[in-house]
Amino acid sequence: MSRVVLMAILVAVGAARLDAGPPALTAVIDRHIDAKLREAGVPAAPAADDAEFFRRVHLALAGRIPAASEVRAFLADPSAGKRTQAVDHLLKSAAAATHQTTLWRGWLIPEASADPQVAGTAPGFEAWLRPRIVANVPFDKLVRELLTTPLDGRQPAVRMNAEDTTTPIAFYTAKEGKPENLAAATSRLFLGVQLECAQCHDHPFAKWSREQFWGMAAFFGGVSNQGGALRELGTRREMTIPNTERTVPATFLDDKQPAWRFKSSPRVTLADWVVAKDNPFFARATVNRLWGELFGVGLVDPVDDFNDQNLPSHPELLDDLAAAFVASGFDLRAVTRAIVMTEAFQRSSRVSEPGQRDPRLFARFAVQGLTPEQLYDSLSVALGVPLEGPGAGYLAGNGSPKSQFVAVFRRTGKPTEAQTTILQALELMNGSLTGTAAKVGTGSTLTAVQELPGLSDAEQIEAVYLAVLSRPPTPEELARVLQIDTVKSKRLADVLWVLLNGIEFRTLH
Amino acid sequence: MPGFDTLFSRRSALQLATAATASGWLGALARAAAPDPARKRACILLWMSGGPATIDLWDLKPGHANGGPSKELATAAPGLHITEHLPKLAAHGKSLAVLRGMSTKEGDHGRATYLMRTGTLPQGAIEFPTLGALAAKELENPAVDLPPFVSVAPQRVFSQAAFSSGFLGPKYAPLIVADGQAARAGGDVDALLKVQNLDRPAGVTGPRADTRLALMRDLERGFADSRPGATVESHKSAYEAAVRLMNPKTAKAFDLTEEKAELRDRYGRNLFGQGCLLARRLVERGVPFVEVTLDGWDTHGQNFDAVKGLCGVLDPAWATLMTDLTERGLLETTTVIWMGEFGRTPKINAQKGRDHFAEAWSTVLAGGGIKGGQAVGSTSKDGTKVEDRPTTVPDLLATLCKALGIDPAKQNLSNVNRPIRIVDATAKPVTEVLS
Repeated sequence: MSRVVLMAILVAVGAARLDAGPPALTAVIDRHIDAKLREAGVPAAPAADDAEFFRRVHLALAGRIPAASEVRAFLADPSAGKRTQAVDHLLKSAAAATHQTTLWRGWLIPEASADPQVAGTAPGFEAWLRPRIVANVPFDKLVRELLTTPLDGRQPAVRMNAEDTTTPIAFYTAKEGKPENLAAATSRLFLGVQLECAQCHDHPFAKWSREQFWGMAAFFGGVSNQGGALRELGTRREMTIPNTERTVPATFLDDKQPAWRFKSSPRVTLADWVVAKDNPFFARATVNRLWGELFGVGLVDPVDDFNDQNLPSHPELLDDLAAAFVASGFDLRAVTRAIVMTEAFQRSSRVSEPGQRDPRLFARFAVQGLTPEQLYDSLSVALGVPLEGPGAGYLAGNGSPKSQFVAVFRRTGKPTEAQTTILQALELMNGSLTGTAAKVGTGSTLTAVQELPGLSDAEQIEAVYLAVLSRPPTPEELARVLQIDTVKSKRLADVLWVLLNGIEFRTLH
Repeated sequence: MPGFDTLFSRRSALQLATAATASGWLGALARAAAPDPARKRACILLWMSGGPATIDLWDLKPGHANGGPSKELATAAPGLHITEHLPKLAAHGKSLAVLRGMSTKEGDHGRATYLMRTGTLPQGAIEFPTLGALAAKELENPAVDLPPFVSVAPQRVFSQAAFSSGFLGPKYAPLIVADGQAARAGGDVDALLKVQNLDRPAGVTGPRADTRLALMRDLERGFADSRPGATVESHKSAYEAAVRLMNPKTAKAFDLTEEKAELRDRYGRNLFGQGCLLARRLVERGVPFVEVTLDGWDTHGQNFDAVKGLCGVLDPAWATLMTDLTERGLLETTTVIWMGEFGRTPKINAQKGRDHFAEAWSTVLAGGGIKGGQAVGSTSKDGTKVEDRPTTVPDLLATLCKALGIDPAKQNLSNVNRPIRIVDATAKPVTEVLS
């Protein structure tokens, strides 16, 4: 299919109107997923039980497991609407704001995890981002602000809470203020298109030409980096392709003509086009990213690589999600809510039929590796010790325990094929965090469990299970633990150590 | 899928609990050191992060304005001249093969690092494995408890992916010691070169550790068997490898205090020097691929002072490594490769520095499978062009594969379900340097 034809189809489908209310969207999503399952002849896995659901939504929305007390209360609650209530509560929680800020900062300036200099600007960037996430600012507005922020020689703040310098400028400095890097990041993040391959030659898989790449870069053509201070010559709207004589004007990726505005930066013109309701890429790329984060695999996967060779698993679903996102006024929270309320999101991760193992069918909830931040914050909850709070200070290699932990537990590869390294295993088996926690008298969870009066052996073991795995043990598990022939306190420490090291704790499932 | 019972086999558990016995330890060492024709080959990569000025090291231009102040020095191999700042290494000239025709065309640190270490530029979604992972997969010996790929003092800022096992998966991911940022912050070299967290938490004795592992095996089973897949497999294999590594006699590989002080002095009492000593210890114990990074070659300013300083670290470490490998009968089966991500501009800039240059530069091969004592390829008088034997990255990597007895045309299944050769099909090995 040619690019023009593909886009014509995308535009046409995108124009179809949908009832944007989350309950309606939830049903639409399930209809598409179920239709594909029937076509593939794969039965869906049974629904997740309450404990499985509760842990999952906490990790997915708030970036950490629930506390044991929250699990107990949820499991004991007989009301029918408790799952919806839990989701609504979590979506507005401070933990969710922290988690979403961490995620979006990671997507927008991934350079911060590798480059210490960029890492220093991450807290300032989060200071800009977090209030917007808390307020659920419409995503088109947020992106517009990011793409049009003034470049007047200001440098990114390297201090937390420096409010008067709060600006997303770290996005620009992370890309070194280079037009080609800014164009590549903008296309990848907000259009789901990897243009950078077209930087030096026409794209090997997709239809993008080198000329189109530099046509996008030309919108940033006036940006210059003078020793870290970024400025912009707002009248420049063209670029010369390096090592050639060819100059290309700023050009959109579709066939629209830029509507230039007098005396304003070409970035304003670009932003208007990127976030326009009829932009065939923006809404699709964004909902696909949300979907990928929640399920571990995008409808288009990788989530930022839309091209003719990498088509969506559920094209109609993607279209309907995108249309609903536009209709909702680019409301990230509403789309997230609709997705987590689906049957697809609330299936067990247990494989009951071999066909369910294909993650792109969404027949069961895929087991996914946790981000280092999710794992660290979950350890904090499980151990009952307050560890480092929100804020990206740890990225700058500040030597804090979180900084060291995150460096070891950096996630590589696909979330659904999460990899454990030897060093991670050693850290969890023998490192100070779990080593201390699983030692009688020093760990807060263990101490609390032992000091609660009147608990039987089985109840103590159950308390440790609830704290770490957010579920009670099965009768078989309980029997196995009780076989350990040692003093009770050591036995509890052993259980805690084992559960913290297990794959069940290490994953979202 | 194998059942979960195999996790933490009885053998691993026993190894964890049992202290090393002298006979077992010495026996293993003796076996490893004996000249064994069936012994698998090994590779040590000396990775020069930042892009070394090879025009000042291996392909000097005396008498030309681009040449700079360094003088040439004759090596032990007739006709092979290198910089005066590597005098100890010059004595090993007969083992060195200098490739003076490298032409790689990528001048960005990140992309060039990826290119040199994987054999290709980044291509969309394909996660190409780094050289060490590819070699580890071909050369690993399952009987060895150490992981098959160890990376010493890597500097991964330019490209994380260039240090990853990519689509070969975590089994071939490098075990990293002295990771970049921590190592650059300084500190006790001996401590930095140890694997972190090898000791059990205080108060957990051998039998209790076994109790825990057995409990873990039993409690994991329900989850793991009902959710089969790569995530579960990877967790299992990492824990198995970690438990094997925790065996005190295995972990001894990282204890440099076992070496004579005089030898340690000769390597140089710094991270790179002691890293090279560690590389020898690991290769001796059956690790097929070890890389040691020397950082600091990005010499845009004051190039000549910087290069001289770096040579002061490189020369004793590499020369002693060659001697040490020779004396232990390991050099014939161990190939040493020296390279960075690119060379540097022949033209000297206003800050007496040299900038990135990938058109014409040098790499070096030495030791096992390599016919030393020669330079292959040449550059123009001003150093800006390759005039003879242009060598691409696939050419270099295919040459290394041949020296290691690996078939460069062998294919691995990639993460995009496409089989991909170890080295690209365009590769032409530099047969002149193969012995």
